[in-house]
Amino acid sequence: MGEVELSCRAYVKMYLHACLFPRVSINGLLLSSSPAGGAVYVTDCVPLLHSHLSLAPVTQLALTQVDVWCSQTQQRIVGYYQANACASDSSPTPCATRIADKIAEQFENAVLLMLDGSKMSPDYRVPPIVMYERKDSRWILKDKHTIMLRQWEETRDIAGQMLESGDHALLVDFDSHLDDITRDWTNQKLNAKIAELASPANGSI
Amino acid sequence: MRDKLRKWREDNSRNSEQIVDVGEELINEHSSKLGDDIWIIYEQVMIAALDCSRDDLAHTCLQELRRQFPDSHRVKRLTGMRLEALERKTQQPKNPPAARKRKISILKALGKSAEAIRELNEYLEQFVGDQEAWHELSELYINEHDYGKAAFCLEELMMTNPHNHLYCEQYAEVKYTQGGLENLELSRKYFAQALRLNNRNMRALFGFYMSASHIAASPKVSAKVKKDNMKYAAWAATQINKAYRLAGRGTKENKCSVKAVEEMLESMQITMS
Repeated sequence: MGEVELSCRAYVKMYLHACLFPRVSINGLLLSSSPAGGAVYVTDCVPLLHSHLSLAPVTQLALTQVDVWCSQTQQRIVGYYQANACASDSSPTPCATRIADKIAEQFENAVLLMLDGSKMSPDYRVPPIVMYERKDSRWILKDKHTIMLRQWEETRDIAGQMLESGDHALLVDFDSHLDDITRDWTNQKLNAKIAELASPANGSI
Repeated sequence: MRDKLRKWREDNSRNSEQIVDVGEELINEHSSKLGDDIWIIYEQVMIAALDCSRDDLAHTCLQELRRQFPDSHRVKRLTGMRLEALERKTQQPKNPPAARKRKISILKALGKSAEAIRELNEYLEQFVGDQEAWHELSELYINEHDYGKAAFCLEELMMTNPHNHLYCEQYAEVKYTQGGLENLELSRKYFAQALRLNNRNMRALFGFYMSASHIAASPKVSAKVKKDNMKYAAWAATQINKAYRLAGRGTKENKCSVKAVEEMLESMQITMS
């Protein structure tokens, strides 16, 4: 299996999602707007739930809607992320592998990403991420060397900056959208903010 | 500032950062003017400080409280909270219900769900009317994928709170997750009930739509059942479209979600027929 790269936007939104709901498990979908084949480049993510992750109706609904949105915007669902309520536990739950399996049915090189709460201190030096890939119908830990985050330090700083200024409160996940459907789960506003902060560094984030 | 703190106490808000900001200033600069209020403010600020990992502040507040109320159960409970935050398990005094519930929270935070479930079950045998505990237990069972037992807890809650649309809707979600035709029909009925109690509950509306659609699409149902459920689904689709169009008015923000929902409803209709 090839390389996986995470964009700044995808990482920052996942990070902010975990920070917005620190006491519960959260999950979301990883998207890519790059053509299939070769490395998997995760360009964006959609935060999904912060309650009842293992109940089917809202998950099914979210998967369907995100699928539709992806086909409208030339993106595809390439993976799944989750952060457990218990910060010291970064192993995938049955719910995580089930959803990741479903994604793998449509996209062979699907990626399962767990956020490691114990590594999310303010001065962390490596991305607090554990990645799994599918081999022989099981999800196994992926070799760290094939996960890339271009300009990691800038990305980490952007995430930290946005957290400091309270921007994580702007993030809308699917759960929040269902509580108030005027809120946008595609997070266009947040994407714009991230792009603004990222632009001095390098155009291709 | 005092009033802000009082309001947050009354609302049971968990806006810990704000409480710490306001409370710390109040304690440091204006303590002499607070009179007897200061004790309850110490308690409130201490709890918020733990939430924000401000152990220095929590320790100060706790010390003041301990000095003033040396034998208080309530202060002992706060001490327990602080130790929990410092990741040490506490010594339990005799077991008043609040202390038992704290123990259960500790177990839950340590990831010991099986033990937490067992303790909570024991607790509920004695305090069978404790709604919060029943809800907590249903959440624990859901996390453990024990949907049958989760449903049982929610049934208890629905019995004692027949007007609570959230319990109906959660029950319906559990039934839907359990799957199978019978559970789908039950889930549809409870989603409908949740909607009757609150017609703005979007989860219930979507849930009703999806359960009706799945039943209609099932090869095992009679033609009549299929027809009825298609009607239900069509009704729900109209309501959903209406709600999204209303939400989409005036804001460019959620155009994406509106379009996604419209297309999703169209495509699901095609698979049903």
